[in-house]
Amino acid sequence: MSFVVPVGPQHPALEEPEHFRFTVEGEEIVDVDFRLGYMHRGIEKAFEEKSFPRALYLAERICGICSGIHSIACVEAVEELAGVEAPRRARFLRTVLAELERVHSHLLWAGIAAHEIGFMTLFHLTWRDREHVLDVLEMLTGNRVNYAANKIGGVRFDVEPKHLGKISNVLDDLEEDALRYMDVFTSDRTITARCEGEGVLSKGEALRLATVGPTARASGVDEDMRRDDPFAAYGEIDVDVKTAEGGDVLANAEVRLSEILESINILRNAVEQLPEGPLSVDAPKKIPEGQATNRVEAPRGELLYHFKSDGGEKPSRGKVRTPTMANIPAIIEKLKGETIAEIPIVVASIDPCFCCTERVQIVDKNTGKTQTLTKKELREMREE
Amino acid sequence: MVLWAEVLTSIVKFLIFPGIVFSFVVGLFFEGIDRKISAHMQHRIGPPIWQPFLDVGKLFTKEDITPSNAEGWLFNFAPYLGFGAIITVMLMLPVYAAQPAFSAAADLIVIIYLLNIPALAIMLAGVSSSSSFGTVGTERYVVQLFAFELPFIIASLTVAAQANWTLSLEGIVAYQQANGWLLWELPLAAAAILLVAPGKLLKTPFDIPEAETEIVYGPLTEYSGPKLAVFNVMENIKILAVAGFITALFLGGPTAHVIAGVQIPAIVDFLIKTIAILILITLIRTVTARLRIHQALKFYWGFVAIIALINLVYVMVI
Repeated sequence: MSFVVPVGPQHPALEEPEHFRFTVEGEEIVDVDFRLGYMHRGIEKAFEEKSFPRALYLAERICGICSGIHSIACVEAVEELAGVEAPRRARFLRTVLAELERVHSHLLWAGIAAHEIGFMTLFHLTWRDREHVLDVLEMLTGNRVNYAANKIGGVRFDVEPKHLGKISNVLDDLEEDALRYMDVFTSDRTITARCEGEGVLSKGEALRLATVGPTARASGVDEDMRRDDPFAAYGEIDVDVKTAEGGDVLANAEVRLSEILESINILRNAVEQLPEGPLSVDAPKKIPEGQATNRVEAPRGELLYHFKSDGGEKPSRGKVRTPTMANIPAIIEKLKGETIAEIPIVVASIDPCFCCTERVQIVDKNTGKTQTLTKKELREMREE
Repeated sequence: MVLWAEVLTSIVKFLIFPGIVFSFVVGLFFEGIDRKISAHMQHRIGPPIWQPFLDVGKLFTKEDITPSNAEGWLFNFAPYLGFGAIITVMLMLPVYAAQPAFSAAADLIVIIYLLNIPALAIMLAGVSSSSSFGTVGTERYVVQLFAFELPFIIASLTVAAQANWTLSLEGIVAYQQANGWLLWELPLAAAAILLVAPGKLLKTPFDIPEAETEIVYGPLTEYSGPKLAVFNVMENIKILAVAGFITALFLGGPTAHVIAGVQIPAIVDFLIKTIAILILITLIRTVTARLRIHQALKFYWGFVAIIALINLVYVMVI
């Protein structure tokens, strides 16, 4: 006998409202259906109502965890449109911001993964250590979450000599912590029992479904925008891309934890090589007509920003594709043949950020059926 | 007159000590200790140890809801069934002396069965609530019950066999007072029963039937208000009862001591031993992740039951 287990919109395993419907037989999952749209905020439309500097503030608020990388992606797309280039020091500082954020995001993921498999101690300890990264971010930018660190043409914060001691202390501690968590994740019997061989995504499927970021790298796909399409100062700093084989939850954990170590290396290099110079250059208020696309590597994978200007102060179109959007098909593939016990950790293994990814979905309130609109129907709706 | 005095003593035993009031207070303090210790292990401050009293008190003031889809009478009856059974266990355990408040012909067998009635009550609750989380939780609980019950019974029987086939707890405690703790004589059976305890009490890594991130709260998902409070109290008294049962079987039961001329009552000894077992359970739950249901079954039948069986065979042959 099969029955439906609803997960969400309110469920302890999900940090955000999202609705999954699992058809199960006993414990085994036979079908998955999910529904988006609980947190649609209409941000792409809102871009068109704001001037470019204000669009930057909006972009920063798309995600509460990777807010820094959103603003970097946005600001670099706008800079490309405006034809200005941020000074070299500013680009290095953006790298520092992006890597600090990657460290705290991956630690946060490790904690959530531990929570999903019921390992509360590991959850509390990783989140305790994550606080140190937030402290550094607060020291540098004045904020813990939305840093407001970028502006068109440069950055609004600086790494001063008095900060260096604290940064190097925190990095040393973090390196120790990351190595310890790496050891815990790969050697603890109860963790490996839950994570090894679960939620497998083969390399072929990962390529076919166009997954991005750590999810793809855990399946052995060697891609990283920091190396393949450098932004900020990554062109001048070596990035060692970490991949793993297997594509299961454990491989995801290994990739993310070794990325923390790599981020610490990058941070050390970036702070050491930090060039002297101005923090920003002036940017025009009116942005010349044109289009620009920018790809960056967010903690969760490739993040794409596209802006179009018609020569005024406001963008005429802004488009965002967040990494979770690209990775959602992977969830379905990973959950095939798994059991109910695997739902939370497998969904969490792609490090989903649903609120960034939110799209409108048309749902019939009475039957719960979803509907796809064709291009023609969309056009008709616009004309109405 | 003698009859009246006896009836009065029985009522006091049932209502106050070691019955409802004592079990309620100590059970909730046990949860408080558990939460405080695990919080410190996790580098948190944690709630004060009287927090469970506030939680339960608050639940009792909430509205009593019966979901419209639920099987009404069963849904409302289940918490009291479990609560009654666990109080009976407390009355049959040696708490303040080797002699329990009430005893039957074969205490051991009766207690083994009564300790399962709270589990059955939770299963009835899960099925009667007509929620898919409740159904999945109940399915898991049935499997887990069969998993841990086998080593639990084998380990208990090993103790009975060692104590010259007595099935009364009083006899087992008396045997230990004469020959020393059975923990040293039957280390494998003791290890088995200590590994069964987290499974019986639904503590990580065996909190599978009520796995929060997977199936919300399993069988008790639909419960709220006073009925949830009764279930909470029942689960906390169950910690005390299981720890007390292990104390009676392996740690010599409640023993009175005289230290430096001061008479220390047996109840203090009992509480110290049960808290030690509680701390062990807390330690296990703090350092592990939740297992999957078939892994729990494999662990209990493939490992715990085997070591208990080895000990039973050893006792019976030698």
